[in-house]
Amino acid sequence: MLVLGIETSCDETSASLVADGKVMLSNIIATQLDLHQKYGGVVPEIAARRHTELIGYVIEEALDFAGKTLAEIEAVAVTSKQGLIGCLLVGVAAAKSLSYTLRIPLIGVHHIEGHIFANLLSNLQIPMPHICLTVSGGHTMLVYVQDYCQYELLGSTLDDAAGEAFDKIAKFLGLGFPGGPVIDKLATRGNRKAFCFPRPLLRANTLDFSFSGLKTAIINTFKHRIADGEVLPLEDIAASFQEAVVDVLVAKTLRAASQRKALAISVTGGVSANRRLREVFLDTCQQEAIEVFFPELSLCTDNAAMIAAAGYARLKQGKADDLNLDVVPNVPLEVQGGS
Amino acid sequence: MKVLGIDTSGYANAIGVVDGNRILADFTFEARKDSLEKIVANIDFVLREAKLSLEDIQGFGVGLGPGSWTGIRVGVTVGKIFAFSTNKPIWGVPTLEVLAYDARNIPGVICPIINTGAGETVYAAFYRTRDGTVSRTGEYYVGDIQGLAEMVKEPTVFVGAEAQAYRQLISRTLSSSDIRTEAVEGMPRGATVALLAAIHLERGENDNVLSLAPLYLKESTAKAFVNRYSRIAQAKGQV
Repeated sequence: MLVLGIETSCDETSASLVADGKVMLSNIIATQLDLHQKYGGVVPEIAARRHTELIGYVIEEALDFAGKTLAEIEAVAVTSKQGLIGCLLVGVAAAKSLSYTLRIPLIGVHHIEGHIFANLLSNLQIPMPHICLTVSGGHTMLVYVQDYCQYELLGSTLDDAAGEAFDKIAKFLGLGFPGGPVIDKLATRGNRKAFCFPRPLLRANTLDFSFSGLKTAIINTFKHRIADGEVLPLEDIAASFQEAVVDVLVAKTLRAASQRKALAISVTGGVSANRRLREVFLDTCQQEAIEVFFPELSLCTDNAAMIAAAGYARLKQGKADDLNLDVVPNVPLEVQGGS
Repeated sequence: MKVLGIDTSGYANAIGVVDGNRILADFTFEARKDSLEKIVANIDFVLREAKLSLEDIQGFGVGLGPGSWTGIRVGVTVGKIFAFSTNKPIWGVPTLEVLAYDARNIPGVICPIINTGAGETVYAAFYRTRDGTVSRTGEYYVGDIQGLAEMVKEPTVFVGAEAQAYRQLISRTLSSSDIRTEAVEGMPRGATVALLAAIHLERGENDNVLSLAPLYLKESTAKAFVNRYSRIAQAKGQV
């Protein structure tokens, strides 16, 4: 079954064709990074305008790249939950139009469920049940994946998302936006133990996260030195900051896996592209004798292939939607899983 | 030519169907919080009421705005994807022209006004009517009512949802002169979008189904802020 996925929840306009929820035939991603860079973050109004300009083009490109025609699409899946409301509405308007004109099922997908499927699409062998850490600039969540489309939210961030902390520290240090890739790169030349930054909630008896205290600690440590015109050891700060984030993410994910006796760990979302995070997860999981999986790099950040894969699974479980599908900017994943 | 016209620039779903210059259906679903999620379901409702199927529709018309930015994005996206996926032509109509066209049989100058939703600022334009058509006589206007009033030089009919209130504000400014003004209240109608689109589509004119974009008339607030900031920085020689 050929499913068209559409994703416009933040600053990527994406369309993809996936066959039977497994085979990615195309995954077109029009990134808007250049538009938002000078603002130091994603501007919702600018993102929504760009989605409207690009949506038709990315759908056409997804078809052309896959060598398919509109008539061959058998269902359309779209991110309808979790994201910027004005951006979500553009993708959902396009998906409803296609569902109506082509007379094919419409499936609304929660953005986080999409990220869970990004890894399932990259690694078809991930066993169930498993623990999924989904971590990006917009969210940090630990999800118990009982089976396809059956989730339990174990923990999430109480303040900043992990990727957001990367962005804010990069901005503070004058490294630009987005912060993830530049800190990852600088950190390879730095000393991870140069500074001992806080590991918020590391030992607390909760699977929730908190990153705003870490950010504040770094800003308080260095703001006077920046004001005095001192040249900061950027590589060491980047490496030490990254190490603090990675320590917390890995420790909490392993604790969740042990508590729930999960068979494997899946790490997904934009921050799952971070090299140090992957390295520490691989080392630790080898010691603990638990398998860990990461999506291929093109599926780490927002993309429509993961939405198509999730949509296919939902459709197989009879969870199709109709033209009244709601757009919800902020709703927990577990409500979605129970429906 | 049977044309389906839609306008969601004020969140309300205005949906109409025409055959050439004949109106087959014209519905407006009032603006609600979830209006933009209902547009495709409402199109289905209107087609059923008109006893038409999608296959009967030979082209599409869409209101481009100005109006609610989110509203015009949804309307334009729906119009584009309908045209793209049915392989039929589309024509975008400025929503100010849609309002003016409903006053096409009133001789003289027509001034449609749309609230921007941001304080006292309005979108407006001046049109001249002739032989049942309208043509715009100047640039689009974005600004306060005071500034718009200064542009009124001859008898004018104001149209739009709040035309009466705007006419009163403007006539206060004009009180020293003897320029006569009138107001006709109305919302953009789907059938009017379709009528205007049909005129162009029947002549073989059409917009690009992939690149058609809303008529915002204002840049996004963030962009305006940065542009202003960089102009100030330039003026101070800081760039």
